[in-house]
Amino acid sequence: MSHLPTERLAALVDEPPTGSELAHLASCADCARERTSYQTLAELANADSARIGVPITRWEQLAQRLVADGMIDDGAKRSARPVGAHSRRRPWVQAAAAVLLVVGGMMGGRYTAGAGLLPSTPRAPASGAQAGSGAESTTRFASVDEARAAQRRAQLTYQSATAFLAALDTSNRAPDTPASMRTRLAALDRTRQVMGEALQDSPYDPVINGYYISASGQREATLQQLNTVMPASMRLTSY
Amino acid sequence: MDHELLLIRRAISGDEAALRALWTRHAPHIDLVVRRLTGGDADMAADIAQEVWIQIFRALPSYRGDSQFSTWAHRIAVNRTLNALRKTRRLQDLETEVQEDSASVEPDHERTFVAQSIEAAAAQLSPGARAVFTLHDVEGYTHEEIAEELGITSGGSKSQLFKARGKLRKLLAHLLDEPSLRSIRKEREHVAPAY
Repeated sequence: MSHLPTERLAALVDEPPTGSELAHLASCADCARERTSYQTLAELANADSARIGVPITRWEQLAQRLVADGMIDDGAKRSARPVGAHSRRRPWVQAAAAVLLVVGGMMGGRYTAGAGLLPSTPRAPASGAQAGSGAESTTRFASVDEARAAQRRAQLTYQSATAFLAALDTSNRAPDTPASMRTRLAALDRTRQVMGEALQDSPYDPVINGYYISASGQREATLQQLNTVMPASMRLTSY
Repeated sequence: MDHELLLIRRAISGDEAALRALWTRHAPHIDLVVRRLTGGDADMAADIAQEVWIQIFRALPSYRGDSQFSTWAHRIAVNRTLNALRKTRRLQDLETEVQEDSASVEPDHERTFVAQSIEAAAAQLSPGARAVFTLHDVEGYTHEEIAEELGITSGGSKSQLFKARGKLRKLLAHLLDEPSLRSIRKEREHVAPAY
C-alpha cells in the first residue's frame, strides 16, 4: 500500500483509521510519524484556546463610541432621565433597607449572642476599633480583584466574630421571653419584606439575596422557638 | 458569576466603570479570537474588535445568564467578525491557498512562542480556511456549527479543515518535527490538567 494521502492523515486526528489504514500505519514509520505530527498540531491549536492575548481595543476609544451611542451614562443623561414611579420608589427602598439592615443586623447579632435586643448601656467603642473603622472607610483599592478579596475577608471576619460572640459572650444575656421573641419576629418580618422589595429591583444582588435568605431562615427559627415556650393552644403557624 | 451579573446590570444602566470592568476582564480573550479570525491585518482586526465590543454592549440587555457571559460574548465576537470579513469579501474564497512568498514561518523553539507560530502560519491561510481551522481546532466548534456560521455544508467544513491542517503541517514542519516539541507533547500526556 502506498503512503496515506495528506488529507487523510489530517482527518485521522478526528476520525478512526480503517482496518487497512491501521495495518499500514503499523508497518509504515513515515505515515505513523506524520499522523503523530497532525495530532500534535491539533493539540497545540486546542491548547491555544486558553491563551490570553494583549487587547487590541483601547478603552478610551471604546468609551468615546459608547458615550456617543448613549450607552455610557455621562451624568447629563442621568439628570435628564424622566423620573418614573420605579425610580422614585428606589431611594426609599434603599434607605429603608439600609436602616433595617443596620438595626436588624445589630439586633440579630445581639440576639444570637444571647444579649438583649437593645443595648442596656451605651458603650464607647475601643479606640483601636475606632481607628480601624476610620481606616477602613478611607481604604482605596487598586483593582476589582483586590476589593473583592477584601470583601471576602471582611465577610469571613464578620461571620467568625458573630459565631464567637454567640458562643462566648454572656454579658447582658436576657431571658428568651415570648415578648422579646415577638419583637424579633416583627423586626425580621419587616427586614424580609424590605429585602423582598429590594430584590424586585436587584434580583441578582448577592448581598440582598443573602439578607433575604438569612431573614427568612431566622424568622422561621424564631417562630419555632416561640412555639416551644407558648402554651399549645396559643401556638402560631404563621405570623 | 453573581458578581459578573451585577456588573452586567450596572453596565446596562450605563455605568462606565462596570462596562470597563467587563471589557478589562474579557478583552484578552475576545480580542484574541478576532485577531485569529482576521489573520495578520492588525488595523482591520482592531477596527473589527471595536465593533465587536460595541455590539456586545448593545446586546447586553438580551443576555439572560443562560450561559457564561464569556461564552455569550465569544459567540457575538465570532459572528460579528465573520460578518465583517464577509463584507470585505474575504470569506468568499474558501480555497486553502498559501501565498507563494510565504512557504515557511520563522523557526521558534521556545514553548511560549509555539502558539504565536501557529497564529502566524494560520494567518497565511485563505480567510475561509483560517476561519474553519480557528473555529474547529482552536475554538472547539463542531463542523455543523461552522457550516451554519459560514453558510457551507459540514462536509465542506471538514474538507477545508483537512486541507488547512495539511498546509499548516508544511508551514510548521520545523516545529512539528522538532524533538523538543515532541517532548512537550509527551509531557502533556503524562501531566494531569490543572483544574
